[in-house]
Amino acid sequence: MSQQIGKEKQNIYPLVSSDKEDIAKPKGDRFLKIIVICGVLLFVFSLYQLNIDYTNLWVGTIEFFTMLGEMFPPDFSEWQYVIPAAIESLQVAILGTVIAVVISLVLAFLAAENITTNKLFARTIKGFATLMRVIPTIVWALIFIVAVGLGPLPGVLAIAIHSLGMLIKVFAQSVEEMDGGKIEALKAAGANWFQIIAQGVIPTVFTALLSWTILRLEIDIGESTILGLVGAGGIGWELTRAMRTYDFNSALFITIVIFVMIFSVEMISNRLKLKV
Amino acid sequence: MGEIKDIRKTKRLQTIVILVFVCGLTVWSAIGTDFSFYEVFSGIGLISNFVFLDLLPPDVSASNSLLDAILETLYMGFVGMVIGAGIALVLSFLAASTTTPHPVIQVVVRAFTSIIRNIPGLIWALILVASYGIGVTVGTLSLILGSIGFLTRVFADTLEEIDTGKIEALHATGSNYFQILAQGVFPQFLPGFVAWSLYNLELNIRASTIIGMVGGGGIGFAIQKGIKLFQYKEVSMAIILVLILILSTEFLTSKIRERII
Repeated sequence: MSQQIGKEKQNIYPLVSSDKEDIAKPKGDRFLKIIVICGVLLFVFSLYQLNIDYTNLWVGTIEFFTMLGEMFPPDFSEWQYVIPAAIESLQVAILGTVIAVVISLVLAFLAAENITTNKLFARTIKGFATLMRVIPTIVWALIFIVAVGLGPLPGVLAIAIHSLGMLIKVFAQSVEEMDGGKIEALKAAGANWFQIIAQGVIPTVFTALLSWTILRLEIDIGESTILGLVGAGGIGWELTRAMRTYDFNSALFITIVIFVMIFSVEMISNRLKLKV
Repeated sequence: MGEIKDIRKTKRLQTIVILVFVCGLTVWSAIGTDFSFYEVFSGIGLISNFVFLDLLPPDVSASNSLLDAILETLYMGFVGMVIGAGIALVLSFLAASTTTPHPVIQVVVRAFTSIIRNIPGLIWALILVASYGIGVTVGTLSLILGSIGFLTRVFADTLEEIDTGKIEALHATGSNYFQILAQGVFPQFLPGFVAWSLYNLELNIRASTIIGMVGGGGIGFAIQKGIKLFQYKEVSMAIILVLILILSTEFLTSKIRERII
């Protein structure tokens, strides 16, 4: 009996191993493993370098949950200041996004490699777009506050500049992805640059531009709620004030308002995406 | 013929209504924020003055102390991503309809992560500063929270898109829940897991440059300090370092993603 099993095993094993040889392992597999191992090593190193004070972590966690307890119930009494501030944040986001969309619509067509009038010009615009996109909105806000003073204006400018950077990039990308035959056909028919854009490019990329705009508006509403932390107006300022004065109950109310704002925008844009 | 004209008419009407609505919103926002082109154009002089006289040229001699800050930012972003991804991995298996042990758990986890996700990281940092004090702990913790919120959602979406035939086959052979997860689900999920985590690393590094502004340590703290002390040339150096860090992580992660997918 046992001999038989041994025989069977002998028969089976070569089969199994040859099977394994037949199925080529996916190429990415080893690479993935190396990445994961490097990641773990880097993680340990980073954690060591951060030098986190673990007793503080423990004490702070207890304090955090006590504070969360103290936050309840939320204090709605200051709604007549909080709600206008929330609306101001919304307005800052809308205005900033609209300005960015309008300017990027012009620049993106000049920056797209396939329809630009001048390659060097296109590269320059893209370089500036990268610069605008990489510097965070709140740093832009700080710069504009120094230049034009406190209030919603630096917030609008900061959001407009940062969004402009991203929108130029993605708009130009969607224009570059479009089918080149259409442009050629229009060119052959003797259309000039503006006619090509109006008749060939805009109808093709319109839905892509629309969905990018909606996504950007969603991001900008999130960002406009935090701009107040540096003094650029809106609901962020109310939250900073409440936290600084240890008015945790108001802080919870403001946080709830921010949550509702961002959450409802996410819901609405999900609906819109389904429709588009 | 008449029908087509009607459709065209309603379409045109729709476009006009939407355009008017958007214009109305814009005007309403412009009035609400006291926006005036006059102020913007008169501000251009001030802005360019500030940029060319105060910000530039960057103070290269400050780069030594700033280097520590930018590395701190990198470490925070990475640690936040790894711990966040670990926790999100567990949560996403509970939150995906294909792998959840019970629908009630799915709803609870989704609601919990939605609350975390829809409160911006900077606001988490502001709340956490009150209990942990200024320092990297706050920055790391708020990045962990942000990562959990984002990654649980995208991981769960990835899990819901996997091929269920494999799971059924494993079910038929009598595998238990954990065997199915390990053999059927995880191998399909791994590339998505790594790619999304890398994208999250990008987001974290962006976020951790600003979280320092409310007391989370790193380069954000250095930028905030520089502005408060009017050391604008140091600020511009810090911004350049941020630029280098963000662009190089973007480059690296996109290269890794390309090879995986």
